[in-house]
Amino acid sequence: MSRSDLLQGSLDLLILRVLEMEPLHGWAVSKRIQLLSRDVLEVNQGSLYPALYRLRDRGLIESEWRTSDEGRRIKVYHLTSRGRRALGRERRSWRRFAGAVEAILAAG
Amino acid sequence: MRWIESARRWLRTRVRRPDERELDEELRLHLELEIEENLRRGLSPGEARRRALAAFGRVEDVKDDVRDVRPLARWLGDLRRDARIALRSLPRQPVFAAAVVLTLGIGIGGDVAMLGVLDAALFRTLPYPEPERLVFGRVTYDGEVGRTVSGPDFFDTRERTRTLASLSAITPFPVEATVTGGAAPERVQAPLVSSGLFETLGVRPFLGRDFTHEEGEPGGPPVAVLSNAFWQRRLGEDFDVIGTTIALDGVPTTIVGVMPPGFRFLVDADAWRPIQRGIDWAAARQFHNFVLVGRLAPGVPFAAAQAEVDVISRQLAAAYPDTNEGKGIRLTPLREALGESVRGPLDLLLAAVTLVLVVACANAAGLLVARGSARRQEMAVRTVMGARRARLARQLLTENGLLALGAAGLGILLSLGIQRGVLAFLPTDALGPLRAGLSGSMIAAAILLALATLALFGVLPAIRMARSEPASELRSGRRTTSGRGSARTQRILVVAQVAMTSVLVIVSGLLLRSFLQLRGVDPGFDAEGLLTAEVALPAGTYGHMAERLAFFERLRERATALPGVSAVGVVDRLPVRDGGGNVRVSTPEEWGSGGVFERLAYQRRVLPGYFQAMGIPLLSGRDVTRGDERDAPNVMLVSASLADDLFPDEDAVGRVLAVDIGEAEPWIAEVVGIVGDVVPNSLAEGTDYAMYFSYAQRSAASMRLAIRTHGDRAGITSGLRDILGSLDPELPLAGVVSMDEVLATSLAGRRSVMTVLLAFAGVALLLAAVGLYGLMAYHVSRRVHEIGVRIALGAPTSTVALAVLRRGLGLVAAGLAVALPLSLAAGRFVQDMLFGVGGLDLLTWAGTAAFLSGVATLACLLPARRAAVVDPMEALRAE
Repeated sequence: MSRSDLLQGSLDLLILRVLEMEPLHGWAVSKRIQLLSRDVLEVNQGSLYPALYRLRDRGLIESEWRTSDEGRRIKVYHLTSRGRRALGRERRSWRRFAGAVEAILAAG
Repeated sequence: MRWIESARRWLRTRVRRPDERELDEELRLHLELEIEENLRRGLSPGEARRRALAAFGRVEDVKDDVRDVRPLARWLGDLRRDARIALRSLPRQPVFAAAVVLTLGIGIGGDVAMLGVLDAALFRTLPYPEPERLVFGRVTYDGEVGRTVSGPDFFDTRERTRTLASLSAITPFPVEATVTGGAAPERVQAPLVSSGLFETLGVRPFLGRDFTHEEGEPGGPPVAVLSNAFWQRRLGEDFDVIGTTIALDGVPTTIVGVMPPGFRFLVDADAWRPIQRGIDWAAARQFHNFVLVGRLAPGVPFAAAQAEVDVISRQLAAAYPDTNEGKGIRLTPLREALGESVRGPLDLLLAAVTLVLVVACANAAGLLVARGSARRQEMAVRTVMGARRARLARQLLTENGLLALGAAGLGILLSLGIQRGVLAFLPTDALGPLRAGLSGSMIAAAILLALATLALFGVLPAIRMARSEPASELRSGRRTTSGRGSARTQRILVVAQVAMTSVLVIVSGLLLRSFLQLRGVDPGFDAEGLLTAEVALPAGTYGHMAERLAFFERLRERATALPGVSAVGVVDRLPVRDGGGNVRVSTPEEWGSGGVFERLAYQRRVLPGYFQAMGIPLLSGRDVTRGDERDAPNVMLVSASLADDLFPDEDAVGRVLAVDIGEAEPWIAEVVGIVGDVVPNSLAEGTDYAMYFSYAQRSAASMRLAIRTHGDRAGITSGLRDILGSLDPELPLAGVVSMDEVLATSLAGRRSVMTVLLAFAGVALLLAAVGLYGLMAYHVSRRVHEIGVRIALGAPTSTVALAVLRRGLGLVAAGLAVALPLSLAAGRFVQDMLFGVGGLDLLTWAGTAAFLSGVATLACLLPARRAAVVDPMEALRAE
């Protein structure tokens, strides 16, 4: 199973995307990305947490401590409205970028 | 408030560090969940944990990366931690920390104090509205700036100028008057001002009004404006005083105004009187008694005003070639003009104190380098333990920064005391006494200086220490020569200190020599036991010359009879004490030829016996006598140098001279005697031409007494007061002061500058000596092993001690060599303040070199002694 390195900046997009579906804690964010990418993308902790803190500092996500169903204290991140708007922008620009790369690969 | 919200957000997300506890908990949660997942996949507990940890990587690295999300917060946090470490480590080296803080604190304190003084003296805003429009006017002769302008020239310029909204004049020297009536008679300061002076300055009277234009015209009524202090003191703050009269010099004078508290311009004043066109002070274009103050018309540039005044001066020169040829008026911005008198000395002292600071910096840097060598091991160990070099350098820099901060604090405290000391010594400027006190600019200066010192003494050692090679440091152990680089740095620092100190000592030496030379100047009379005083006769009661003459003759006669008095002289102006009053003199033939002659001589009026009382030698001819009365032929005595100049190789006695007294016809008198030269103004200016007239033939209202005493001064003074009281109870005895005091006061300005400079030089010398001592002590302690070997091999202890001494003196010699060109420049800088010595004075040079070598020898003596008593066995065993 080969794991692709995440493109610069795309990690923020992925985090915002999985948090759009539901609020999650850090570990779950990395697992969800792994799962949804069918094990292609594995998020390294050393990138995940700085990214989470950076997104929070930019006001795109918020966090709160909650008690989980198993009675464990967990820190859950959720998208803010600013984050939702940012995700829309990021998604469009990523699609344009990916489409452009695909167009070049498919050419000729 | 949106911006408050965003500011709070900025603070929360940039300045505050991420919550470490929260991060820890979050990361621990992550690990636990990972381990549980591994267990669910069927791994053994140990394996599950190992894999989770392996996948996670170094927890510290992750945390570090999270912290990096907020770089500013991270930087501040590191700084705080470094500061905490430094605060813990500095008290462990109290002597070192105290030495650095004290050294730099003294340097910074001195500099800040002088900056404060300079700021107050030169850069403060004048307390008048729109001060930048105010200009000061002085006379020029062929472009050379003199001082006072004549009254008629002033009035003409005032009438013609368009670029100046107003122009006014004031007497820039003490002008006194006697106040009588009511309380005891009193001598007061009563300068003459043109009617528009207060208006020009933009200061309104506190009570009453300013002078009117008519009060400045011929025949104007006698009026005065009082100072607030005088109004309080003499008139008990009487608000109904306006319109009442006060007797000034016996003339009933109407009080028209009282100035606001604290108002003072150029000279002390109890009352101001208007200059009326045509009064004695402003009678002729040869009588230069006023300086000018003008206010530029709105929007007129300074240069335009000067250009216009130049044109007016040329018009006057064309109209009155006899008196105004080559004469002009130079305008200067008022603030600049008022600061001029103190500018030179203050600049010198600031330069001196900055040198002290540089010496202090070099000293502190030397201490740091020495300590750096001692801490190389510590740094090497910490490098090996994984500390990053940049972090180490940062931490050292933080330590040094804390020391600099402490020094800035101490400096601010010290500066208050130093400032007070310097101000107490320095002469007050034209605007009145300068206030001591801490200003915002001084605090800013202290902080800037601390930062500059930090850059000078802190950065280099920090970098160099952090760059040490741990492997070689640890291998080589304690006693090594690995400090070769830092030893060289230390030597350079000591040489720099010696050089700066030498410059200071040399300049102080030059000023000291100048001062001693000045004190040694022969004033031309015998100052010892000479008491002086002043008596002024009001014109109202002593209108006739005969009355004045009779009064002074009686006074002189009775004063001479006082016990302890051997002789009394009466003169209108005493040497050094009352300067000024020089006029042109020539032979009548020269005068008649109409040629321009510029021989100026000081004119004095004397009663018989003046020369004997003063101890001025009568070289030939005779003194004035009672026979030289009004109707007798005019007589005069001249000083030896004037006689020589007028009649070289001939006897001046019996010749006739023409003296310019500001009238169409000169005063013609026969020379009846020649006396020795005296110093009329200041000792630095030296002796000058003088001529003496018989009081009976040319009288004056205000006279000085020269009393030759050999007894109790207080008794003589009260005796004089009694005599005066019995002659005329309305007359005050003023200005009782011994000639010794007069001479000392005349040198007070120089003395104070010299004293402060000497103090600075002393501090620098002490610092440099400590620096040298520290280096040599360090040098010996590092070489105990080598010295032990040499002694063991048979080197005599004296040779060892001498080697240490030679090394120290070598550094001093190097410093002196560096100082040579520097002090040449410094000598040029102080040239104007020197007297009787050149900027390059061999004696001062040699003295400084010898003195510094002596101090250096003392500083090296202790280390040298220690080297001599090294026990070879112990030194070798210690290895």
